[in-house]
Amino acid sequence: MTANIQSTLPSVSRAIEGLDVGELRRAIQEEYALVASEPEHGFHFHTGRRLAGILEYRDEWLEGVPEGTIASFAGTGNPFSVGSLHAGERVVDVGCGAGIDSLIAGKLVGPTGRVVGVDMTPEMVDKARVSARQMGAGHVDFRQGLAESLPVEDAWADVVISNGVVNLFPDKFAGLQEIARVMKPGARLQVGDILVDKAVGDKGKRDINLWKG
Amino acid sequence: MIAAGFVDFEITWRGDVYKDAPQSSSAAKFGTMGINFRARKARDDDEWAIALATLSCSL
Repeated sequence: MTANIQSTLPSVSRAIEGLDVGELRRAIQEEYALVASEPEHGFHFHTGRRLAGILEYRDEWLEGVPEGTIASFAGTGNPFSVGSLHAGERVVDVGCGAGIDSLIAGKLVGPTGRVVGVDMTPEMVDKARVSARQMGAGHVDFRQGLAESLPVEDAWADVVISNGVVNLFPDKFAGLQEIARVMKPGARLQVGDILVDKAVGDKGKRDINLWKG
Repeated sequence: MIAAGFVDFEITWRGDVYKDAPQSSSAAKFGTMGINFRARKARDDDEWAIALATLSCSL
């Protein structure tokens, strides 16, 4: 579907000029490796059960999810509050972190469904895999990869969820196009993220410390 | 969102998710809010073309 209309759109680069994408990714990985290994460290964002409470995660969603994964939760919204997941559905969790939303999705779609969580930070993926094994969630698979090149086949997902990650895409448009690639026609996108009321200037957009918080 | 292939974009919630976080951040300076949003991948080119036609801004 995409190719025909895409070719009619104006060619506009959405990449941020002067932003060192490699350095940005390294900085984000470093930050979230710390969230994985020392979730109690104290960050510029809330984490763990306190955050889950702020974002109104239901107790029944968290039931059975290992504490290590809950402790490293660092989302900014609640993808499950904007739409239901149904038994048997295929879900991709973009930027899954330690796996809390993937594992909740796994409970909601049940064993006839499938969930693929993708994260670029190895420490987070490792933690998520351990939790999936602890839960016996064999239908929830965690893969290391970038949001801009998701390790998921075309038109696979009924639903894509994401939480606090789209704002970290160096190129939002490319990331959203990639998300669309893995979705079936008509598939749903359910996202928690952030927005800013005040515009960020060009200098700010190149400031990696600002990206981190 | 629409240009990337989505339709029916809707922000369903916004809230201050950084208040009282352990470390200070630039969130307040930029009025940063947590949000939830949803959208749907267009079912086909026709649906997407209709959505694109509603855009009034330059891409």
